[in-house]
Amino acid sequence: MKRRDLLAAGGALALTVLSPADGVSAQATGNVVGIQGPCMVQRGGGQVPLKLGDAVGVSDTIDVPANGKLKLRMSDGSVISLAAGTRLTLATYQTDAAGKRENAQLSLAQGLLRAVVAPVDHPSTFEVSTAVGTAGVRSTDWFIEAKPGSAQVGVLTGSVVLTSAATHRSETIPARWGARLEAGRDPVEARVWAPQEFQAVIARTNVP
Amino acid sequence: MARAGAALIVAVASIASADRACAYTASGDRNFAATLVLPQLAPGDEAYFNFNTLPLSSSGPGTANRSYNFNAVYAKTITHDLGIYLEESYTGIGLQGAGTQWGWQNQDMSLKYLVANSLDHEFIMTLGLDREFGNTGAARVGASDSGATTPQLYFGKGLGDLDIGYLRPLAITTFSGLTLADAAPRPDVVSNGFTVEYSIPYLQSKVKSFDVPDIVRNLTPMTEVLFTSPVGRSFGARTTALIAPGVSYAGEGWEFGVEALVPATRATGTGVGIIAQMHIALDFFFPESIGKPLISTSYP
Repeated sequence: MKRRDLLAAGGALALTVLSPADGVSAQATGNVVGIQGPCMVQRGGGQVPLKLGDAVGVSDTIDVPANGKLKLRMSDGSVISLAAGTRLTLATYQTDAAGKRENAQLSLAQGLLRAVVAPVDHPSTFEVSTAVGTAGVRSTDWFIEAKPGSAQVGVLTGSVVLTSAATHRSETIPARWGARLEAGRDPVEARVWAPQEFQAVIARTNVP
Repeated sequence: MARAGAALIVAVASIASADRACAYTASGDRNFAATLVLPQLAPGDEAYFNFNTLPLSSSGPGTANRSYNFNAVYAKTITHDLGIYLEESYTGIGLQGAGTQWGWQNQDMSLKYLVANSLDHEFIMTLGLDREFGNTGAARVGASDSGATTPQLYFGKGLGDLDIGYLRPLAITTFSGLTLADAAPRPDVVSNGFTVEYSIPYLQSKVKSFDVPDIVRNLTPMTEVLFTSPVGRSFGARTTALIAPGVSYAGEGWEFGVEALVPATRATGTGVGIIAQMHIALDFFFPESIGKPLISTSYP
């Protein structure tokens, strides 16, 4: 068994069901593997603080404060790092019996995240939607930032398709490239990102 | 004969400078379309191919009355800001009443360094240094025995940061170069040019999305203008001026452009020519192999 599969299987065993003390009985889809600052999760109408090792599940909305950062390891082995000031909802996160991702839908209301998406050997989706559009990937290391009225994507490895919610026009973004999307418009033509641009988003999402 | 040869070199070079042309480059949300006549703005990983033909001023039987150029350029980044360009051109010179002579132009290589790139202001400044290696081409098609070195300066500015509504998709690029010949009778030549372009993709993504056909969404109408003029001893060379209105169509990782070549002086040509170009962004199709800088940053 490959190391990646072992990690995924381990994750699936560790992530069972969120405890009633957390407010719901939703299926856990990931857990906290890095945290800075008072990060919170909204779950079942309540809000509880997160700590290292906590599970997160479908329908959870995670809030990272202005002085915080958070890193999640998902049940399929993907790693999602959230920068300060980020709000993310885990809308859907389905895996098969082997822990391989089938369908992941995240909703980024605001802020910046980095996703190192675990590869799978069958058709699957990993999508992050924002107010202005959706970014979909298969296997990649990438960033997406949502701001009022816009979103931008940067890709370190793999590729991402950024689609406008308004015009349904898409832009393919390969490795080392990035693109922006403004509300109600087509995606901006992708371009090569400067190293400084990647370093900036890496620094913002780096959770020691 | 030397004077006629020098004049032919300048006339053909003014068109064959299209050889060094082109490739898109970007600053912030601005993608400058691939140019066909002016050199490109900044380093990149790309390959492009173009063909142009232009009627020339013939001075009688056996003298040049049309030029044809097939050009191929390969560009490679060394670092994100520094790149090298290798160019080959195959030229045909139509002779009045005497068929067409074909041959290679001198080999050409250039370096470009991106000095400034203001993402918010869509502004780019690049320095370049071009070297043409003398006696590596065919004299019958105007290739000189003398090499030449050309320091170059480039600017690009998009108007997207200005509050000018539907004029925001406009962009201007400029090019200046001073070609210093290694030896007489090749003249030194100063080249200046500019491009004005209106990016429909920019209009659709940054100003307002209109419900227009795909072919229109991806078009960038543009006009390029290039002047060359001998400085110092001219050896019979004269000022050339070329105006090239046309359009560029951008696909994902490629661009196709076509422009008319309109000579503005008799030394440039006597009728309207045409240039067409296919540009391939290697950094789009092969971003993690041949499309990335030789020395690239690795990220944690």
